[in-house]
Amino acid sequence: MTYDNLIDLSQSVIDGVLFGSIYALIGIGFTLIFGVMNKINLSYAAASVGATYTSLLIVQAAPPALVYVAAALAGGGLGALIYLVCFHFLPPNKPLATLMSTVGMLLLIDEAIVHITAGMPQNYPAMFVGANIDIGPLSLRSDLLFVFALGCAVMVGLTLLLKRTRLGLATRAVAQQSVAARLCGMSITGTNMNTFVIAGFLGGTAGAMAGAAIGVLSPLLTLPLTIKGLVVTVIGGLGSIPGAIVAGLLVGGAENLFQYIRGVSERDIYVMLMLFAFLVFRPGGMFTPPAGRD
Amino acid sequence: MDFYLGLAQVIGVHTLLGLSAWCVLHTGQVSLAQGGFFAIGAYASGMLTTMAGWPLGLALPAAALISAAVALAVGFPALRVKGLMLVVATVAFAEIVRLVFFNLSWRVNTPTGPVGPDGSLGFGGIRYFPSHGWSPAEILVLIWGLVALVMLVLAWLDRSRIGTLWRAVGEDEVAAQSVGINLTAAKVSAFGIGGAIAGLSGSMFSHYATHIEHSNFTILLATFAIAYPILGGLSSLWGTVLAVIFIQGFLIEGLRFLGDWRSLLFGALILLVMLLRPNGIISSPIGRWFSRAGGAPVPTPKEKVHA
Repeated sequence: MTYDNLIDLSQSVIDGVLFGSIYALIGIGFTLIFGVMNKINLSYAAASVGATYTSLLIVQAAPPALVYVAAALAGGGLGALIYLVCFHFLPPNKPLATLMSTVGMLLLIDEAIVHITAGMPQNYPAMFVGANIDIGPLSLRSDLLFVFALGCAVMVGLTLLLKRTRLGLATRAVAQQSVAARLCGMSITGTNMNTFVIAGFLGGTAGAMAGAAIGVLSPLLTLPLTIKGLVVTVIGGLGSIPGAIVAGLLVGGAENLFQYIRGVSERDIYVMLMLFAFLVFRPGGMFTPPAGRD
Repeated sequence: MDFYLGLAQVIGVHTLLGLSAWCVLHTGQVSLAQGGFFAIGAYASGMLTTMAGWPLGLALPAAALISAAVALAVGFPALRVKGLMLVVATVAFAEIVRLVFFNLSWRVNTPTGPVGPDGSLGFGGIRYFPSHGWSPAEILVLIWGLVALVMLVLAWLDRSRIGTLWRAVGEDEVAAQSVGINLTAAKVSAFGIGGAIAGLSGSMFSHYATHIEHSNFTILLATFAIAYPILGGLSSLWGTVLAVIFIQGFLIEGLRFLGDWRSLLFGALILLVMLLRPNGIISSPIGRWFSRAGGAPVPTPKEKVHA
């Protein structure tokens, strides 16, 4: 391997790790919802992309920074809607029913996007395009760097929310022992709803970050984001937020590494094989979440 | 007329696919790998009949065996985890299979020109039926004959000791293990039989479609495979058939007059069915009558799947 190859390789891994912050956010969303409900919300990534599309409504009139905020808010709204439609009225002991209802929601959101935009990819505003930061022969793409910084800011905010506020305390209590939480007089429905809204904020931000990093939004984003988000959740350890962050960056980096070595069409084979290796040798994920759930 | 024959073929193939997912769901495992086994069956039987020149009668069981072997090989490591982890593991497997076929290029020369999988262009020219003079009606009879055979075998299995073991594991793993049931054997056997059925289904798909490509076998297909038994209800095999007719016959073909709005309604209707019938269609009174007419036992539906 020559020096130039090595530089190219490091460059693509760096880009991948920066992009991986998007996977990390989606993974955190899956983990949060699984934590409180013990159920999968398969429509989550689709709702995130849907929220990002919604934020396009104000893109003509507002600066890009406001568009990202709008995406997060729309994500929160969609999260509440999904909780009401797909989870609230279904019996809690029927995980298969909610699995299917979220699949229905996924298809519905996907088709609504295709229907409204007539299937055309939409441009999404990026920030700081072109102002790259050079470190020796490597350069950090500043739009990706912005995406990464935004992702980190959201993660710090989420950690503070979960550790320092009563809302976060309630979320963690329900995730650990929902029966005990109810015995203490907490509203399970309210907490679940709040968790969906928080996860929706993260998802909307992640969607906006993906739009900014790629430059266009397309309904084709939903399935890869869903799959990568689930992969991140499992590699990081179900229910573990630090795990999801590390796994998101790892998957992003590994994806670009394999793409550099083997080409784009074989890239995901190796990412999935990596997941299999984790499942065989470390089925609990990298970080085991605190025990105590029954 | 040909349209309805074609639709009946699609429904038959998807019924087989749904039945393969039914086996696995019966042991309480949610597997999205069925689309992968379907793809393996489709490619394997297509390659056997076109490239190796085997008759379909041999290629069908061979493809089913290959799919079952892969299912067993994947089942042992994958079934160590359950719930969400299993969903993700099987998604990963199905994606690996799809991407392997996406990258697979292996053409051989035959008297009628080169045939074989051609990477992203797909695998065309699986012309066993046309070149042997099968009419659409005959193909249809073969497909539904296979459906009847598989349903008979599954109904028999369901009533035998194996079915009891599967259901015991599906209802409560800890209880099943405490009375000495071998969990791994029960789950892996269901996975293997499900894989064989999905392989059969894929073989029929590649032969009536004559052209297959990787985009036929996405996660969406696997989602449909588990949607059929869940929507239909796990208590009876007929639920799966009903759900396939509901989705393929009514939602996809029957609503075609709605044009663009059809695909919007599609997800909404799946959502609605789940809201109204969380246990599946067959749990309704009419459904119960239907399943009694079908002769399948009606236990109280009680799923316990950690997902």
